[in-house]
Amino acid sequence: MMQIKGAHLYQVLHLKGDRQDFDFVKTSLAAKGFDVVYDINGREAVEVAPILDALPNLEQYIYCSSAGVYLKSDLLPHFETDAVDPKSRHKGKLETESLLESRDVNWTSIRPVYIYGPLNYNPVEEWFFHRLKAGRPIPIPGAGNQITQLGHVKDLATAFGLVLGNPKASKQVFNISGAKYVTFDGLARACAKAGGFPEPEIIHYNPKDFDFGKKKAFPFRDQHFFASIEKATKELGCTPEYDLVDGLTDSYNLDFGRGTFRKEADFTTDDIILGKKLVSV
Amino acid sequence: MAFSSTAAATAAAAFASGHRSAACRPSSKSSSSFLGASFPRVSAVRRCAASGAPARRAVAVTVRAQAASAGGKKSVLIVNTNGGGHAVIGFYFAKELLAAGHAVTVLTVGEEGSDKMKKTPFSRFSELTSAGAKTVWGDPADVGAVVSGASFDVVLDNNGKDLDAVKPVADWAKAAGVGQFLFVSSAGIYTTSDEPPHVEGDAVKESAGHVGVEKYIAGEFTNWASFRPQYMIGSGNNKDCEEWFFDSKNTNPPAKILANFQIPTRTNLRKKRNLAGIVRKRPVPIPGSGMQITNIAHVRDLASMLALAVESPGAAAGKIFNSVCDRAVTFNGLVKMCAAAAGIDAEIVHYDPAAVGVDAKKAFPFRNMHFYAEPRAAKEVLGWTSKTNLPEDLKERFAEYASSGRGEKEMSFDLDDKILSAVGVPVAVAA
Repeated sequence: MMQIKGAHLYQVLHLKGDRQDFDFVKTSLAAKGFDVVYDINGREAVEVAPILDALPNLEQYIYCSSAGVYLKSDLLPHFETDAVDPKSRHKGKLETESLLESRDVNWTSIRPVYIYGPLNYNPVEEWFFHRLKAGRPIPIPGAGNQITQLGHVKDLATAFGLVLGNPKASKQVFNISGAKYVTFDGLARACAKAGGFPEPEIIHYNPKDFDFGKKKAFPFRDQHFFASIEKATKELGCTPEYDLVDGLTDSYNLDFGRGTFRKEADFTTDDIILGKKLVSV
Repeated sequence: MAFSSTAAATAAAAFASGHRSAACRPSSKSSSSFLGASFPRVSAVRRCAASGAPARRAVAVTVRAQAASAGGKKSVLIVNTNGGGHAVIGFYFAKELLAAGHAVTVLTVGEEGSDKMKKTPFSRFSELTSAGAKTVWGDPADVGAVVSGASFDVVLDNNGKDLDAVKPVADWAKAAGVGQFLFVSSAGIYTTSDEPPHVEGDAVKESAGHVGVEKYIAGEFTNWASFRPQYMIGSGNNKDCEEWFFDSKNTNPPAKILANFQIPTRTNLRKKRNLAGIVRKRPVPIPGSGMQITNIAHVRDLASMLALAVESPGAAAGKIFNSVCDRAVTFNGLVKMCAAAAGIDAEIVHYDPAAVGVDAKKAFPFRNMHFYAEPRAAKEVLGWTSKTNLPEDLKERFAEYASSGRGEKEMSFDLDDKILSAVGVPVAVAA
């Protein structure tokens, strides 16, 4: 668990432990007696049950789910009412949402798309920044016109704040992400703008032509993936503060641009792609 | 009025909560402010033919204008194009207005007896006149004479693509004291962007004719609104959209043949129960990856949006509305949906137009790129909702297509044969 600088100013109590130790979770939380739970990292329903057991008088359980639960579709964007995929990689999130619904607790579920911003542990923007800094071409699978969506973590935090004690959020699901979507190629260009790099060279490749083993050659799922945030805008009364380039610039200035990042650059898969130099539609 | 309380409540919530919502920005940057929408603007005082005591007349007309904007019966003129993809908008809009009890006049460009009038939606104008609409024909440059001096509360120009065409109508409307001027523009004016969707307020191509019109009417009218559509489906369409794909299931002709093809309005005498028997399944050539997204709305959605603007003129004043449904569809997805509507499997062949040596504009009926706008202003400002359900709407469209006899027409398919042979795909033509 990361320590946030300045947390002491807000008197944050930091309980350290293993979330998978359900007895520990139950007893330590019951001892404190919390009114509201923000569950930011829960993946499986079994992880949530002990928390609910520990806090029978919970006013609200606010859960960070994922837009990854939506069933892939040719009709986009995803709306909160869309079909979900019980077989998705995020099915634990779905099962958690179902559990919350069944336990009759006042729950709210937030479904972000791709999260970015300073201190991002997931190499989303970092992946591009490493390549831009190294002056390397950006290998992008397929046509590069796949559409994705990024949301600044600060806007996500704001959304989490807006649902607190909000009757409009009771037993509701909200997609939370940026107001606009972006193509893969467009994202490479946006990252370049954010970091003050020249326009990048983009190399397209057919992922089927390669075997990368266990390594991930690109940080996004190779498909269109974006969700409408209009429900949150309408019901919670807010629009995101950051547009894409502003947000990526914020991330660059406060993190990568200062020389900090979470994962070392690894250009192994890039070199495989560039070595073969296959360009296909 | 519902619109003003919604706008005021949202604005109040935005400021009262004191959170990030203070950074809320209205969706339409180029229009009047968000708060401005909550103060209904009274439409311009109408000048009348008879001169009376101006002060008294002004008060009387102001009161009537307010009553009209509060939802009373209105007199609406639709200046309608005589061909092309937008022709059907006026038809559906007229129907919505008539159903709501408004008085409608449709001025179609050109002559009543012209060949263009044999195509839909014009060939179905009896559906409008039987519901009480007046239909006239003429040159929009002479609009005042064509409508025989009648006066209107609302004018929609669903014809002009540039100022040359619209200016005479706008100038006449302003001089005649028309309260609300609406214009059907185009989402095609947005500049291309890495960040879809196109939303109201995004940069547009300054040289575009429609942009010139929008700027002009914004300067001339207090109460104006512009509607930017993309592609439409719907019975009575003048230009092919989904028909291209249904044809592919049969014959897959090039787009330029389709543009001139008339769908017979009378049902073919042959029974067509078993479509599988007559469908000569051909692969559908799609340029690029087929991942390009576009927006195809049922024209009903556009009509309802326009009608809402007429019913809530204060909310609509000074606004731009993307007149589209709220879902994008990929080219691949569209083919699959058309095939499902026709009850058969789709076979898609992707190709690179440059490599094959064809002009994608001739070989494919949609822009070969992402072209996707969202109707955010209409939802936010008018409380509009989309009713388009593309898979279901296509089923309805296919039923009409099948009964029209078009599926059995002999057609050439030189262009897609060229594509398919270049890609190396054999075409098995069923007997």
